Amino acid sequence: MWNLVVILQSALSGLLLGGVFALLGVGFSLSWGVMKVINISHAAFGILAAYIAYWGLTLYGWDPMLSLLVSIPLLFFSGLVLHRFLIQKVTRAREIVVASMILTFGLAIVLENAMLFAWAPDERLITTAYSSRALFLGEVILKVSNLIGFGLSMAGIGGIYFFLYHTHTGKAVRATWQDPEGAALQGIPLNRVSMIAFGLAIASAGAGGVAMAYMYSFNPPAHNHWLIFLFLVVIVGGVGSVIGTAVAGLMIGLITGLSGAFLPFQWINVFLFGLLMVILLIKPEGLFRK
Amino acid sequence: MAKTTKLSLIGLVFLLALFPLFQPPIHSLSFLFLVFLYIILAESWNLIGGFGGYLSFGHVAFFGIGTYTSALLFQKLGLSPFVGAFPAGMMAAAVAAVIGYPCLRLRGPYFAVVTLCFAFIMDLIVKNWWFLGGSEGIHLKLVEMEIRLSRSIFYEIYLGLAAVTVIFVRWVEHSKMGLGLSAIREDEEVAQTLCIPTARLKLQAFVLSAFFPGVAGGLYAYYISYVHPDVVFDISVSILIVLMALFGGGTSWAGPLVGAALLSIINELLSTYIKPEIARMIYGAMFVAVILFMPDGIVAFVKRKRGYA
Repeated sequence: MWNLVVILQSALSGLLLGGVFALLGVGFSLSWGVMKVINISHAAFGILAAYIAYWGLTLYGWDPMLSLLVSIPLLFFSGLVLHRFLIQKVTRAREIVVASMILTFGLAIVLENAMLFAWAPDERLITTAYSSRALFLGEVILKVSNLIGFGLSMAGIGGIYFFLYHTHTGKAVRATWQDPEGAALQGIPLNRVSMIAFGLAIASAGAGGVAMAYMYSFNPPAHNHWLIFLFLVVIVGGVGSVIGTAVAGLMIGLITGLSGAFLPFQWINVFLFGLLMVILLIKPEGLFRK
Repeated sequence: MAKTTKLSLIGLVFLLALFPLFQPPIHSLSFLFLVFLYIILAESWNLIGGFGGYLSFGHVAFFGIGTYTSALLFQKLGLSPFVGAFPAGMMAAAVAAVIGYPCLRLRGPYFAVVTLCFAFIMDLIVKNWWFLGGSEGIHLKLVEMEIRLSRSIFYEIYLGLAAVTVIFVRWVEHSKMGLGLSAIREDEEVAQTLCIPTARLKLQAFVLSAFFPGVAGGLYAYYISYVHPDVVFDISVSILIVLMALFGGGTSWAGPLVGAALLSIINELLSTYIKPEIARMIYGAMFVAVILFMPDGIVAFVKRKRGYA
């Protein structure tokens, strides 16, 4: 068990998975931090994009990366529409967080069951020509598909970071997050900015979903499983912080991978949730809360 | 409460109590049993969730603790669950006291997540601990009675427990404790400046809200005769309790009652007559619709329409 190769293998695999957690978490964190909307349907949109990639591959032979050309605009547009017609209505409620949770919970159920109805609960796996190939670092095996998923995630996070820190709209989003009233006083159209941020969040969920699909099989109910990890990542990293969530995602992935090497399988989740509880009780603001 | 409402509710309870005498199909007894269970769970949850504003997403854990306590007491000591339900409730309350003390310091979504974690961990621990039956669960001796009679007895007991819970929650709502909890929900810092003992009230509410599910769980163990984590620590039940209470309206005693009853009946009707996935889609769409048009719950919406505050 103390074999260095095993440790390195699990650490690296975990890290690759962590990248995907990071991308999914960043979008989730964005909508929670900026719009105070806890989007329970975040992971479900990821699954939707994964299905688009799957059907693109099996029906038309598209590479999953190509399917992103379809899913990202589609999901971005869906995010805009959802925000404009559903979420803006509840931001006026007394309890935004609660109302948004219930709203997006209903949304998640509708989405999950629509996918179940259309595509059945069978587990799907994306297998491309290069899926079985792997990179060998000494005795450590890194599957090409995992590496691609990781690369996609890093690109996604990089894109979001660039948007938030180097574009005008992105800076407006950050301003809205830091101080909505101040931003409004500056002439920033809060609703439109929130709409764009939400669209971006959903689109990133899509990219994250495809990245996850490169690594694991999926089916409609899988989003529940992903969602727990999203909560873990976002809370550890600090709600609203892109860097914090990204680092937290990598960390959680690393810990998941390593604990797989040391703990019996069924105790990994207990360890993770116990860790989440401890972090919540000691430092709920997360590691990088600004 | 208006006299007519009071009388009609008492009448309803009376009719429900007489229902088994009409030899209805056993399925309807089982269905109503579940409705009563959800009423007990949602109403007691509301003490901390609706009144206090602390949304516990792990409340099913207390139900599960109740079932396992009474199941173990029956299995190891031969204590009848009809008696064992009470220690089961106490056990759930004790766990709530221990867990609540650190967790109630967290606010809003963080409290929700930590309680959800707690429920997950309980589920996993029970599954992996041989003493508690592990993933095989615990088999209990079947009640030695004809099925209709035993179902009717459980039905009446649960009806009584539901009535007691509703009356208790209503009493709390109008008591000093209820007022204190409302103050905490509206603005905890201000409540503290008013010398309201927020920590003590929160803990009290949390412990009380765990007791009734514990008792209900204690009886449930005997009802289904087989206790397994997947059944009694089911996270979707936990989430459903929250939704039922908030759907009906968290700020009053009537909200969870209405929410639990309505959602159970709608769910049953939908699953019976429509394909399961479409039924679930309609179910989900319903949440979206209600939160858009009645964000404070059904009861608050109806009250406002009628002209009450």
